Formats: sequence, structure tokens, C-alpha cells
Amino acid sequence: MLKVAIGHSSDPDSLEAVKEVIQQCQSTLADQTPQAGLLFAAIDFDHHLILQQINEAFPKIELIGGTTDGEISSVLEFQQDSLTLMLFCADDIEFRASIGRNVSQNPEAIARQAVETAKHRLTLPIQLCITVPESLTTSTVSILQGLKAALGTIPIFGGAAADQWQYKRTYQFFNTEVLSDAVPVLLVAGKLFFSYGVAGGWRPIGKRSLITKVNKNIIYEIDGKPALDFYHYYLNNSAPDAVYPLAVFPPGQEQFFLRGSVGHDLERGSITVSGDIPEHSVVQITDASIDDVVMASQTASTEAWAKYPGQAPDAAIFFSCAWRRHILGTRANEEYQAIAHSSKQVITGCGFYTYGEIAPLSDTGQTFFHNTTFVTLLIGSQ
Amino acid sequence: MSPKFELEIKQLNKEIRILKKKLERSEVDRARLEATNRSKEFLLKRVICDLQEYQSILEKKSSDLEQAFNELTKMKDKLVETEKMAALGSLVAGVAHEISTPVGTSVTLASTLMDETRSLMMTVKTGQLKRSTLNNYLDIAKESTNLILNNLNRAGELVQSFKQVAVDQSSLEQRTFSVKHYLEEVAISLSPQFRKDLHTVTIEGNDAIAIHSYPGALAQVVTNLMTNSLIHGYSQQAKGHLRFDVTKYNDQIVIQYRDDGCGIPTQILEKIFEPFFTTAREKGGSGLGLHITYNLVTQKLQGRIAVQSEVGKGTLFTIELPTSVT
Ligand SMILES: Nc1ncnc2c1ncn2[C@@H]1O[C@H](COP(=O)(O)OP(=O)(O)OP(=O)(O)O)[C@@H](O)[C@H]1O
Ligand SMILES: [Mg+2]
Repeated sequence: MLKVAIGHSSDPDSLEAVKEVIQQCQSTLADQTPQAGLLFAAIDFDHHLILQQINEAFPKIELIGGTTDGEISSVLEFQQDSLTLMLFCADDIEFRASIGRNVSQNPEAIARQAVETAKHRLTLPIQLCITVPESLTTSTVSILQGLKAALGTIPIFGGAAADQWQYKRTYQFFNTEVLSDAVPVLLVAGKLFFSYGVAGGWRPIGKRSLITKVNKNIIYEIDGKPALDFYHYYLNNSAPDAVYPLAVFPPGQEQFFLRGSVGHDLERGSITVSGDIPEHSVVQITDASIDDVVMASQTASTEAWAKYPGQAPDAAIFFSCAWRRHILGTRANEEYQAIAHSSKQVITGCGFYTYGEIAPLSDTGQTFFHNTTFVTLLIGSQ
Repeated sequence: MSPKFELEIKQLNKEIRILKKKLERSEVDRARLEATNRSKEFLLKRVICDLQEYQSILEKKSSDLEQAFNELTKMKDKLVETEKMAALGSLVAGVAHEISTPVGTSVTLASTLMDETRSLMMTVKTGQLKRSTLNNYLDIAKESTNLILNNLNRAGELVQSFKQVAVDQSSLEQRTFSVKHYLEEVAISLSPQFRKDLHTVTIEGNDAIAIHSYPGALAQVVTNLMTNSLIHGYSQQAKGHLRFDVTKYNDQIVIQYRDDGCGIPTQILEKIFEPFFTTAREKGGSGLGLHITYNLVTQKLQGRIAVQSEVGKGTLFTIELPTSVT
């Protein structure tokens, strides 16, 4: 039997906030000891203090987490500058946390090693992996490749840690440690049911242009001209903005995926995007309206509920793109409202706004690094 | 201080902290939202410009397409015209061939008569003309003038009927005529195009079935159907039987035309009336014959045409025409 407890505090005082969160969890757990936890925290907190307090309250807990661009939970719904903690207890489900440090030195190998370490401590068959990796120091796509190499077809869910749109430094949590440039993973094994849904809401608009020169995730030329010109044309000469990702149509395909810009080179006129792009793809700039975004989140949630294999899930975990929050502006809470209304019952849940979501593609089952999507993961005991 | 107040103050302090933080955050967020709005506005303006550009490109494209379409239509009309001229040409060839027989016979007979006359005149000059010689000459003269007259009459008749078809074919005038007789005339005009020892043509039906319509259009329809049978229906040595049946139901005249040739495979049967569909392009087929036929029957003649065919057995075209066009 899986038992899930949740705490959420919007108190900007780190000690007060963590105390409140722990207290909320304890009242749900009664005297049960949690095995593992997920912690999503705003960037301004004293994260060391928070982790220490949690560890004192629940010694030996397997905890991972990271900093965010906004937090959501079934307790306080959407918040900024808040702290949310989800704790798990179960006797027939195993949770094992582990960490890959200095991941930018060799993203693939270090991510892979992190999974292997956690795997050695499992006795039951693995069901899924949750991760909150760094996204500013290295390519999340490479980290994902390492995770996939160690996990095979086991699905991976998560979101890249964020820093409230400052793009300076994100933090990852592992037990009592606060790290940067790291990839924490939590493996879940045993008698667990789960299902998920992914949806975006961004639509291509404007001219269809051809990628004429690209190397993996660096676009050099679009329509035979420097790639930056393409963004400059649409964004009044300002730098590429991740809020307007490119819709990428691989050659001969009607379906597109999104790639947000993560950097650019003024001299060469190139744009670096969040994942590889096939040569000769057609690209279009995209845009999203509040309604599109809210509708898509509802779709993701409905899809997850429809596919859930068991009676009813015990908890929901959400990963939503920071860019969605950006579009939603003051109406960010509507996204949580939409998913809350689309599910059959009110369910314990928490999540955060990320710099990139990780979830399998619904058609191929291949884990993919998304942008601008909303991911709902439902879990429950078998 | 009482513990109750202490708790209340603690609570108020927390609320103040939260509100302060929220205020800070909302300043940052507002600035960001304003920036987002500016860039969004710019983006949308650009996209509108793109759309306008596309619209003018599309407009140009569609006018190009229209022009291309008009040119094609003109070309098709020209081809149809050429086809008509070709039909007229084969008619002229037919005329020449058919008339050459009676005229040739007449020439032979006339020259024989001239020879006989010359030798009679010589005999008369020498003063040795016998009664029997004169009688003999008179017999020959009577017989040959008879034959000449017959042959020339036949030629005259032919000219008459060809003239009719030719006139009908070039000008599209309406008149009332016997369907069966008219089919016979057209068939004769086509006879030089096939070997009489190989193919036979029969025309069945009541002579009295008359129609008020455009004979020229009908001639063209029949010409196309018969030439198709001869070109597509039979291999080199095959003997063919082409047959027309003319019947009348209420106000509809039904012409059934069948050949016993190779037939048309099902998968192409529905295409044969399409313009430019041909299986004989290398033999110079344009694929317009049946398209024109279809248009003539359905438009000019205000009727219907249908086809049935079985590979190896032959092909049947059924044409229904109103007894009188409006
Ligand atoms: N009696 C028939 N027997 C077998 N096939 C026929 C017959 N009539 C028509 N077809 C088929 O239908 C096709 C279309 O006929 P149509 O008269 O439109 O064009 P065509 O004879 O090929 O060329 P065109 O008449 O323009 O010189 C022919 O190419 C032939 O394959
Ligand atoms: Mg033909």
C-alpha cells in the first residue's frame, strides 16, 4: 500500500516554511516513517537549512528535488516563492535516490553512473525513474541519453531545475546536499501502477522556412541566411526568446515537435536549441495563448487519467514548463484549476515549473526532452 | 503577553512576510509581462505581414493557373477542331474511292463505244457497210450507253449522299431524317477505311424511325465509334462484324452499336470517355475521340451514351436520343 503525504508553505522565511511543511506531512502520516520524498523549492530559500530540517524530522529519507520557477500542489495550488514536499511510504514499493555530480564534465557517463548506483540498492523490478537535473551548465539531452542508457525502456519523468527566469544558477537536492551541475535521480520499484499524459498548446504561426545548415542542436542557417536573422525578424531584433520555440517539422512530416532556444552566437549568427534537429527540417515560429495552454494541460491530465491501469491513483506529480507560466502571467493558477477539474476526484499532488520536461512520447514510448509541455504523472499501489 | 496574542502576532508576521515577498515578485513579474507583451505584439505584426505576402503570392499563383487553364482549354478546342478536319478528310478520301469505280467503268465503256463508232465510220467510208455490221454496232451502243448511264447515275447518287454527310459534318444544321438510312450513308462513306473482305457492317431497324436532330453530330459520333472498333478492336487478320440496331421506345430512339472485337478491360472502361485517355498514343491516338463523342451525344444531341464491354467478346455502346432536339 502506497501512502503519500504533502506539505506546501508560502512563508518566505525558510525555517518557518519548512516547519510548516513538515508539520502538514506528519499530520497525514501519523506515525508512519516515509521512505522517500520530492522537494520543490523557490530559488530564494535557504536550501541547506530546509534539507537539514527535513532530515532531522525523517532520518534516512531518500530525497531528491530542485529549485523551480513556481510550485503547485493540491494544498496551496499555484504559488511562487514557496516550498512543497511530497513524501512516500510503502512496504511493497522501493525508492532509491542517487546523485551524479559535476555532470557537465561528462553528462552521459555521469548520469548513467547515477542510475547504476541506485539500481544496485534495489531488490524489486524497476518501474520508473524521476529526475530533476541541471539545465544551465550542460545539455539536458545528453543527460537524458545517459539515463536512458542505464534504464533501457524504463520510462523517465521529471523536469529540469529552474531559477525563476534569471538563468544564472539552479540547484539540485540530494538528501541533505544542495548542489549545482548535478543530476539527482529517484528510482521507484515494486508494486506500483502509473500512467502519464503530455501536451503542449503551442501552435506554429508565420512563414514556413527551411533549415539549410544545422549540426545536432546548433542551427547555423535558415533559408540560406544566418539563423539569428529568423528570430530577429520576428522579435524586433531582440535575442531568441524561449517563449517562442521553433516548431520543427522533420522532412516529409506533418507532425512537429518544439525546440526552444537555449543560447546564441551573435558573431556566427547561430542559435543553440534544446535538442537535436534533423537536417532539411521545416521550421516555423510558434505562439501560444492562455486558452491554448490551459486546454493542453487539461488534455494531458485527462489522458493520464484515462490510461491509469488501476482502480484510482494515490498521487499526481506535475512538471510544467516555465514558459507556460510566463504566458499565463497572473492567471497561472488556472492551469492547476484546469487539471483539478479534469480529474475524477481531488488527488494529492505536487509539481513545479521547469526549464524542460522529461516524459516518454505517447506514440513511441521513447523518453524525450520536451519544451513548453505539461506532464501529468499518476502513481498508485498495485 | 498571553499565549493567544503571541500566536496571533506570529500569524500576522507570517502574513506580512508573504505579502512583502509577493509584492517584490509582482514588480518583477509585471516588468517581464510588459516585455512579453511588446514582443508578442511585434511578432503578431510580423506574422500579419507574412500572411499578406503569402496572399499576394497565392493571388499571383492562382492567376497563373487560370491562364494556364485557359491556354489548355484553347489547345483542347484546337485539337477537337483538328479531329473534325481529319474526319472530313477521310470522308473526302471515301468519296474519291467510291466514285472512282462507276466513273472508271463509264470511262472504259465510253472508250469501247468510241472505238466501235470509229471502225463503223471507216466501213461506211469504204461503202462496204453490211446490215449485220450495223445491227451489231447498234447492239453494243445500246448496251454500253445503258451501262454508262447506270454507272453515272450511281456516281451521281454517291455524290449526293456524300454531299449530304459532308454538309452535315461541317455545318451543324438540324433536320428530320431516317436514322437507319443515315447510318447507312455514313457507313458507306467510311467503307474505304476497312477491307470489305475482312469486316462486315450490318444496320438493323425500321426505316421509318425518324429523328429531328443534328445529322452532322450523329455522323461524327458514328464515325468515331466505327474507327475505334477498327483501330482498337481487331488484330491484323481478324474478321469483324460491326452492327447497328435502331429501335424506338416511347420518345427515345435507341441506337445500339456493337463490335465483336477484343473488348475493353474493366479497369480502363470507366476512363475511356475522359479527354486524352488513350491506349494507342504511339499509333497517333489523341484520346479525344470518345470525349468528343460523349460531348456530342450529351450536349448537341441531348441524349445519353453508355458502354458495356467484355474482354474477348466485344464492346457495346448504347446511345439514347430524343426524337426531337429542342
Ligand atoms: N471498340 C473498342 N474496342 C476496344 N477498345 C476501345 C474501343 N473503343 C475505344 N477503345 C479504347 O478507348 C480508348 C479511348 O478511345 P478514344 O477514341 O477516346 O481515343 P483513341 O481512339 O485512342 O484516340 P483518338 O480517337 O483521339 O485518335 C482507346 O485508346 C481504346 O483503348
Ligand atoms: Mg478514337
